[in-house]
Amino acid sequence: MAKTYDYLFKLLLIGDSGVGKTSILFRFSEDAFNISFISTIGIDFKIRTIDLDGKKVKLQIWDTAGQERFRTITTAYYRGSMGIMLVYDVTNEKSFENIKNWIRNIEENASADVEKMILGNKCDLDAKRQVSKERGEQLAVEYQIKFVETSAKDSLNVEFAFYTLARDIKAKMEKKQEASNPPGGRTGAHQLRANEQQRKPTSWLSRCSVL
Amino acid sequence: MSLQKSVKSAGGERTDQDNTSICSSVTTQPDRHGFFGGAQYSPEPKRTVSPSTILKREQKWLRMLNNWEAFMSKNYKKVRERCRKGIPASVRPKAWLYLCGGQLLLEKHPEEYEELLQAPGDPKCMEDIRKDLHRQFPYHEMFIREEGLGQQELFCVLKAYSVLNPKVGYFQAQAPVAAFLLMHMPAVQAFWCLVSISDKYLSGYYNPGLEVLQRDGDILHALLRRTAPAVHRHLGKHRVEPVLYATEWFLCALTRTLPWDSLLRVWDCFLCEGVKVLFKAALVILAGALGPAKVRKRAAGLCETLEVLRHPPEGILGEDYLMYHMQRLNLTEEDFEFEHQRQTAKRRAMANRSGS
Repeated sequence: MAKTYDYLFKLLLIGDSGVGKTSILFRFSEDAFNISFISTIGIDFKIRTIDLDGKKVKLQIWDTAGQERFRTITTAYYRGSMGIMLVYDVTNEKSFENIKNWIRNIEENASADVEKMILGNKCDLDAKRQVSKERGEQLAVEYQIKFVETSAKDSLNVEFAFYTLARDIKAKMEKKQEASNPPGGRTGAHQLRANEQQRKPTSWLSRCSVL
Repeated sequence: MSLQKSVKSAGGERTDQDNTSICSSVTTQPDRHGFFGGAQYSPEPKRTVSPSTILKREQKWLRMLNNWEAFMSKNYKKVRERCRKGIPASVRPKAWLYLCGGQLLLEKHPEEYEELLQAPGDPKCMEDIRKDLHRQFPYHEMFIREEGLGQQELFCVLKAYSVLNPKVGYFQAQAPVAAFLLMHMPAVQAFWCLVSISDKYLSGYYNPGLEVLQRDGDILHALLRRTAPAVHRHLGKHRVEPVLYATEWFLCALTRTLPWDSLLRVWDCFLCEGVKVLFKAALVILAGALGPAKVRKRAAGLCETLEVLRHPPEGILGEDYLMYHMQRLNLTEEDFEFEHQRQTAKRRAMANRSGS
């Protein structure tokens, strides 16, 4: 069977419990919002294929439980990720402060070149806001990570966030490809992917390719 | 996971229309278990056992509950047999309370629950609990209303446990278990059942580190090799680790996995026979979902396999199929013990290696 995509990107959503990781993912994968979600226990995933500059990019997005105790099982799955969304809740100061801990977690467990993005979710709840947009931006500048405020409920910036992260991963991949391949060489998607697999250590995520 | 399944099917195909409400999947009349919608909603009344049989069973159970100590010490096999047949709904709450030892704990510490509630509680735990109150069985009549009685009681039960056992404090997987218990009994009884389940039945599952959960995942995988070798090979080939599919099964004692009637039957056995019942149910689900060769062929990858396990065919989750096949698994007490020892030793050796 022919592959129905040109690239496969593995993304990961992390952040404190209750910040809306599952809702963001549900908005992105189903374009819907549900007030009656259950808390995530363990690890879950969703898949959506997007069109990026004429290429079909399959996003395999892993959703994780936020409570600290789950980290012993979730951090094992950082390694194979090519992009990580760090999510906090703009109505919860603590979840914002914890972004630093989550970044440390990434540094300890993910590949050094993983693309990152910070999302300040629930920005529709202005009356309950505890973290200003400026503070979010400041943190992002400090860590040199892209940042955007989102609302899974109002469908604000969720698409933008995933497209941006995916585009950054794609750009980085192509740049690497150019550097390792002398000009004039074949630069087909197939070759890119093969190269990608070589670059990453064998992990559970890299085994997941779809026919 | 199961809830998302329902939402997806209720919402149908991806549409441009914003699907903020979930009205299409919610009714005004709850089903016989109290669900207004969601994956657990099952409107058609169940009639697999005749009323006269139920009546007879009820009488037997009442006699047993009145002589509980004697039955448990001298005739445990009879208790087990009756649990496997299914406890009649009318006596189930009391039977569960007796089976798990919650009644004994309650008699021993009659005032403790109230006292625990007076304590301030660890602020971090309290915050974590509050964040989860509206995220347990949101379609059930007890928990559908934000800050309704069900959610208040859920808070109390989880808080009391966190004060009683600060080492565990609050772990997110306890919330569905506590909510499930609250659907069947008053808060103080649900609390002592939760204590027994957290500390005895699922001992170590909720501890920081989740070591026991990971070990039990390895045990499950090893047992699968005996009960369904082809499925075992498939999971190994695609590196589908137990932590990816069995975490919620084990930590929530299947409360989020099974259709309601099946769940009640499995819990009848779980509280009588212990955690190995969860293993057996898991093994039946794995073999049932991935048993057919053509399913395995189609699910040729990690995600595809997980997808199959996330939505097993309804038939294999039905109470009759599940109970029948759980008892036919042909695994002895010794098999469990053997794998337990083996996997524990393996993990210890691994820890020693990485430690040295």
